[in-house]
Amino acid sequence: MKPKDMKEPEYNQRLEQDILQALKNPSPFYWVAVFTCASFFAIGLLTWLYQMLKGMGVAGINNPVGWGVYITDFVFWVGIAHSGTLISAVLFLFRAKFRNVFNRSAEAMTVFAVMTAGLYPLIHLGRSWFFYWLFPYPNQRQLWVNFQSPLIWDVFAVSTYFTISAIFWYVGMVPDVAIVRRYASGIGKKIYSILSLGWSGSKRQWRHYTRLYIFLAAFATPLVISVHSVVSWDFAMSIIPGWHTTIFAPYFVAGAIFSGTAMVLTLVIPMMKIFRLERYITVDHFDKIAKVLLFTSLIVTYSYLVEFSLAFYGGHKFEESHFLYRLLGDYRYLYWTMLFCNSLFPLTLFIRRLRRSIAFLFIMSLFVNVGMWLERFVIIVSALAKDFDPYNWGIYIPRWPEVAITLGSFGMFFMFFLIFTKVLPVLAITEIKEEAVE
Amino acid sequence: MKKGIAPAIIILYIFSFMVFVSLIGYFWQQNRKTPKQPINFSHQLHVSRVGLACTHCHYSVEKSPAAGIPPVQTCMNCHQAVATDRPEIKKLTQYWEEKIPIPWKRVYVLPVRNYVYFSHKRHIKGGLQCVNCHGNVEVMPVIKQVPELEMGWCVSCHRVKNAPVDCATCHK
Amino acid sequence: MDRRDFLKILGITSGTMMVSSCGVDKASEKIIPYVIPPDEDVYPGNPLFLNTTCTECPANCGMQVEINEKVYHDVRSLYPTKLEGIEGHPLNEGTLCMRGQAGLFRLYSPDRIQRTMMRHDQGNFRVATWKEALTRIEEGLNRAKQDGKKNAYFSGRTTGSLSELIDRFCRNKDIERLPEFEVFSYANIKRANEMVFRRPQIPKYHIEKADFLLTIGADIFETHISPVSHSWRFARARKNENFSWYHVEPNLSLTGVQATRRLSLRPRSEMVLLTFLLQTVLEQNERKNNPGITIVRSLPNYPLDEVSSLTGISETDLRSLATSFGNAKKPLVIAGGVSTAHQLGLEVAVLTSLLQWIMAMTDELVDFSQAESYESIGTFKDVESLNEQLDQNTMGVLFISRMDPVSMLPAVFKFSRQIKKAQLTVGLSDHMNDTVRECDVILPLSHSLESWGDSQPCRGLTNVIQPAIDPQYDTRSEGDILLQLLNNESTYKNFLFEKWNKNYGDAGTKEMLKTGYRSDPVPKVMVSFNTLAVSSFVRHMEKPNFNYGVVLCLSPSIRSYDGRSRDLKLMQEIPDPLSTISYGGWISISPLTAEYFRLKDRDEVELTAQEFSLKLPVKVQKHLSDNVVMVQRDLIPVPLTAVDHRSGEASWYVPNISLQKTGVVLPVPILSGSMEENHRGILPPDDDHGHRHDDEEHPRWYPEHEHKDYRWGMAIDLESCIGCNACTAACYVENNIPLVGLKEHLNGREMSWIRIQPYYDANDNFEFVPMMCQQCDNAPCEPVCPVYASYHNPEGLNVQVYNRCVGTRYCSNNCPYKVRRFNWFDHRLVEPLDKMYNPAISVRGRGIMEKCTFCIQRIRAAKDHAKDENRLVQDGEIIPACAQTCPTEAITFGNMKDTESRVYQLAQSERAYHALEELGTEPAVNYLGKRGNNHEA
Repeated sequence: MKPKDMKEPEYNQRLEQDILQALKNPSPFYWVAVFTCASFFAIGLLTWLYQMLKGMGVAGINNPVGWGVYITDFVFWVGIAHSGTLISAVLFLFRAKFRNVFNRSAEAMTVFAVMTAGLYPLIHLGRSWFFYWLFPYPNQRQLWVNFQSPLIWDVFAVSTYFTISAIFWYVGMVPDVAIVRRYASGIGKKIYSILSLGWSGSKRQWRHYTRLYIFLAAFATPLVISVHSVVSWDFAMSIIPGWHTTIFAPYFVAGAIFSGTAMVLTLVIPMMKIFRLERYITVDHFDKIAKVLLFTSLIVTYSYLVEFSLAFYGGHKFEESHFLYRLLGDYRYLYWTMLFCNSLFPLTLFIRRLRRSIAFLFIMSLFVNVGMWLERFVIIVSALAKDFDPYNWGIYIPRWPEVAITLGSFGMFFMFFLIFTKVLPVLAITEIKEEAVE
Repeated sequence: MKKGIAPAIIILYIFSFMVFVSLIGYFWQQNRKTPKQPINFSHQLHVSRVGLACTHCHYSVEKSPAAGIPPVQTCMNCHQAVATDRPEIKKLTQYWEEKIPIPWKRVYVLPVRNYVYFSHKRHIKGGLQCVNCHGNVEVMPVIKQVPELEMGWCVSCHRVKNAPVDCATCHK
Repeated sequence: MDRRDFLKILGITSGTMMVSSCGVDKASEKIIPYVIPPDEDVYPGNPLFLNTTCTECPANCGMQVEINEKVYHDVRSLYPTKLEGIEGHPLNEGTLCMRGQAGLFRLYSPDRIQRTMMRHDQGNFRVATWKEALTRIEEGLNRAKQDGKKNAYFSGRTTGSLSELIDRFCRNKDIERLPEFEVFSYANIKRANEMVFRRPQIPKYHIEKADFLLTIGADIFETHISPVSHSWRFARARKNENFSWYHVEPNLSLTGVQATRRLSLRPRSEMVLLTFLLQTVLEQNERKNNPGITIVRSLPNYPLDEVSSLTGISETDLRSLATSFGNAKKPLVIAGGVSTAHQLGLEVAVLTSLLQWIMAMTDELVDFSQAESYESIGTFKDVESLNEQLDQNTMGVLFISRMDPVSMLPAVFKFSRQIKKAQLTVGLSDHMNDTVRECDVILPLSHSLESWGDSQPCRGLTNVIQPAIDPQYDTRSEGDILLQLLNNESTYKNFLFEKWNKNYGDAGTKEMLKTGYRSDPVPKVMVSFNTLAVSSFVRHMEKPNFNYGVVLCLSPSIRSYDGRSRDLKLMQEIPDPLSTISYGGWISISPLTAEYFRLKDRDEVELTAQEFSLKLPVKVQKHLSDNVVMVQRDLIPVPLTAVDHRSGEASWYVPNISLQKTGVVLPVPILSGSMEENHRGILPPDDDHGHRHDDEEHPRWYPEHEHKDYRWGMAIDLESCIGCNACTAACYVENNIPLVGLKEHLNGREMSWIRIQPYYDANDNFEFVPMMCQQCDNAPCEPVCPVYASYHNPEGLNVQVYNRCVGTRYCSNNCPYKVRRFNWFDHRLVEPLDKMYNPAISVRGRGIMEKCTFCIQRIRAAKDHAKDENRLVQDGEIIPACAQTCPTEAITFGNMKDTESRVYQLAQSERAYHALEELGTEPAVNYLGKRGNNHEA
């Protein structure tokens, strides 16, 4: 926040200095971090190659349980990708000013998360090398994709979401890139000047810019709902008890925002500490984001209750037996952990002091990440493990390739994010300026 | 003018790569269509000059899915006596005496053979001529694959002739 | 080169880069012609059929071999690819059991013996030529003559011409031909029939003509004499409305759970039950034969309550059994299996025959004129005497043919060491086994599908054995070997043809070769009742004593007969129908025992009795009686068991067993997730019978499917299904289904397209539900496939296009029946087993989902044939592998659009229902539920 006594220009001066500080001289610690992430990513890729050459069987999935960690990861990452658009687009339209300090990193996160998520549908294919058959393109075989299949809807949902959020992120960045260009030199300057699309900050440009930004925000907003609804339909459209539920769409969207917000905290808090941005990202901001977290947590909890009550109220034997299994069956510990992380622990956020304790929020965010991952895992696996015909009930335990590939995806995600922090302004400079002006 | 160089290089690079790839593809294709045969047998000679019918050698084309590669015996029926002095025929007689089947190279290869089930019989009975798919064999000194044998090629014809286009017609 | 070519080539190159990088099976680039075309007019893609005989077990069913022309390792040749029963064959009526179906796994087995071998002085084997081997045998025989030693010929069950040839050989070379060795020798039954009817034989049981069947321990569907024939006969009998069947057994058998009523009784107490039944029928005045007062007198007298307490069967059950037995017009009693194999087994057998004679000794039920040819089979007593001879070191050359006594005899026989005492032992076998390993000369036998021969499973029936493929290795048939040892120029084939032409004439022989068998009229046999013998025997029957604590019962196994079929890889891949355990051994215990010792499935226990101990995991099995633990005899080293010296029958029980929980939990592939169906809609809805939930219209988002000429459907009669797994085996072979092995089974990745699901119904009775793809009209798998790999074809099949599948596994997740199988790896049969691949259907690579499509290759073939004659396919023209081999004709396939078709008729039955009806998947498979009367507990 701008101190009262400080003059406008010098504040801006300092602001730019502070933020551009982040772009300067990477510390050895940074290099180590990047390298570690990169190597995880590499291991992940190699494992995938191994899986392709050897066969899907190297993973733990089996006959009743055809989907496991891979699809869990997919849903998890798409979920993470959510809060990006929410924070930047929706909160922007709602004029929620506290977003300004988060939106840049949130959007970056979104883009990287979608990229990561997009890999999983490929990874889980038995014949990944034919992934392009999933796209509707004219081919000599004269074959078409099956538009009835939710998986095809996924292809569209995810790719759309990626395009929009990438554009949104970039457009939002253009003025800041222009600022960076001003301080940059050498080859860097060239690149930045290409990226900044000859931004001069003239009145006219600003007028068009703000117009465009609002439009894009308006475009992006429905995606927040649509994308994860579509993802949820992968399950809701099936006939498997525990998947086949009408509440899945809102339930998943809420969950997505929940996990996404958590991930924002997980990323922003260390970033703030490392780049000493406490001046701009203040406790008040965190307080507000924590409220979002709390709210979504409540929605998610509500959905859990609805699921169960529907099952028992409905009195449908398959539904009943499934939800009993989920609660008390082979995966009960995971389910209970999930309940703690997503429903009980966040309740502490009702306490103001905890909301305003950065450290606590950080820990909380980690718990929520774990909880949300488990939620997807439990939903997917427990439903498949025991469905209609008792003869082919079975259980599923992940194997090392699944672990390796999951870690690999985290490696990829953080690697991209780290690179982003070094090459692009991590805060929306102009918007913070505006905020200061008002 | 200096500004244009970088993009030019990039474009050039991409273009040359594509050319390279397509050349490989082209030669690979050619080579696959006309492999080197153990005996350079000329359909032209046997069909146009000698005037043999296709079914004379490809004995099972009307009776079974496979057209039938003639047993060495079939060749020997004539070549016991005919043109025995020619080097190629000498090769043939050698195979015959050693009772080794001639390892002909396959010319017509379906892209994913073990998933596609084509029946010559069905198509002949359906009134197709050999020439429809195999081209004018009688003018080919060296046999070569005429159509691409891609699925689209089959399907289009099936559509035109309104033959079944149910996948199970060919895939099992 | 124009644009399109250019693009095409780009596509192709990139495509091939994909392909080559991802090891999709590439097409062989060679085409191999014949040098000389085969004499039959065979065309690639048109299979040949040849009638011969199945030699997997002594039953010798008639077998039709499908032979396909294909290129294997660059050789174009003919290979047997499928085995089926001969239509209308008197033994098996066109069907085969699971072991018969798996016969190809023996023919193409990797551990066939490929060369003659001789042991040299250091004791280990070296490859030899036939000449060397045969001369070695000659020398051996001469040496034996000089040293004045005896020679012996010891073989498995042999009938027909081979038997004659062996006799001639033995006479010529003065060799003693020993009684043949079979573990299932039915010694007690033969002895009993000798005593009662003066006929040491096993009669043919015409179950189909009986209206009441009482089986005492006889596992008629698993191993007892001729299981397949019993199966279809039973199916016929059941067509009779008031046919009822009581099965009494101490253990739990597949046969038992099929009976109308199954009573489990305490081991060895059968004779008490039988005496009780005798008394009751003797009290009734209307009965066929009178055994004479002496016998009636000398029968021990057990009051009802004592019978109940001794046998452990409730009095009410005893009464109901007695009454329904008494009221039966044509009752048939069969004793056998574990009930005739103990110290009192002979009593059981004798009393059974006596009971049969008194009630209804008509040869339309118990037929001695078509007696099974078991006369030449010896007993354990004979093996003991052989051992004595060997001990006296008087044995010169010992021939051991077509059997494995070393692993089948109890360890006490020390047979592996005994046979070393002969100067020279010659082993004839197609497989390496424990016995052959101990021999000095190993002569590799050709498989019966590689050789000529004939067999006489029972009186008046001659089966032909003719080669379907040339010997793959340097092997010979036993006949040829013997002829060569006799320095006879002619081949066994000529030998046979001379004989056949002599007996049946030229035409007769040709006919026989075509049909594969020949039945000749046999003289009627009138049995005469031997009052004296019976009465004296009955008088001296001692009262059984029952203090033997917990008993280990060695039950025969449907999967491996007496153990001989255990080498067939397929027999381990397919689970045992009662326990659904595929690989490895286990012990079945009753729930109460489990509770008492705090045992759960997969817990390891140690069984100990004197001189015997054994560690195996347990499987808790309902209905098994509490004082019995059951193990399949082929899964364990045969323990020392007493031999009854009256008949030579070995006991299959180990008394006074003590269990000990070791605390180890072993990985056991129990394929069934749960046997409790609790009204999930897979078993027939027992509430509103016949009512079809999915008859009423479902609202549909998408238009209804239209089926023009065909809508393929299936009807499965659960009343007839006996859970014998023949269909499963047939399906494996017909559809190139991969064998994945133990590890993958433990991962829950078995690949069978059809499986026998055992469930306990509302009354805790076993019910078997064959489950395969239901070909739903409203299929959950279809809409979810992103690439149309799974789609609904115009004939109502849920076709799976294997090479379109990208492997999302969504279809499998969404399949309520979970009948889709995913290829987790590239599972190919190991060479040379891959010779049996059916060329009519693809071998799926890794990452592809596969499933049953009602044998679409057969559908295509039939339609192709029909199209040649431009007509529609007629009913019964297409028979899927499972339906073809079902011995009880439980499975019917056909066109649902044709209201005349059998399948349509059956679907209209009020017993018909769909599995998981309430889901509205509208399957094309109709199950016919059991009639109520089978439900009474």
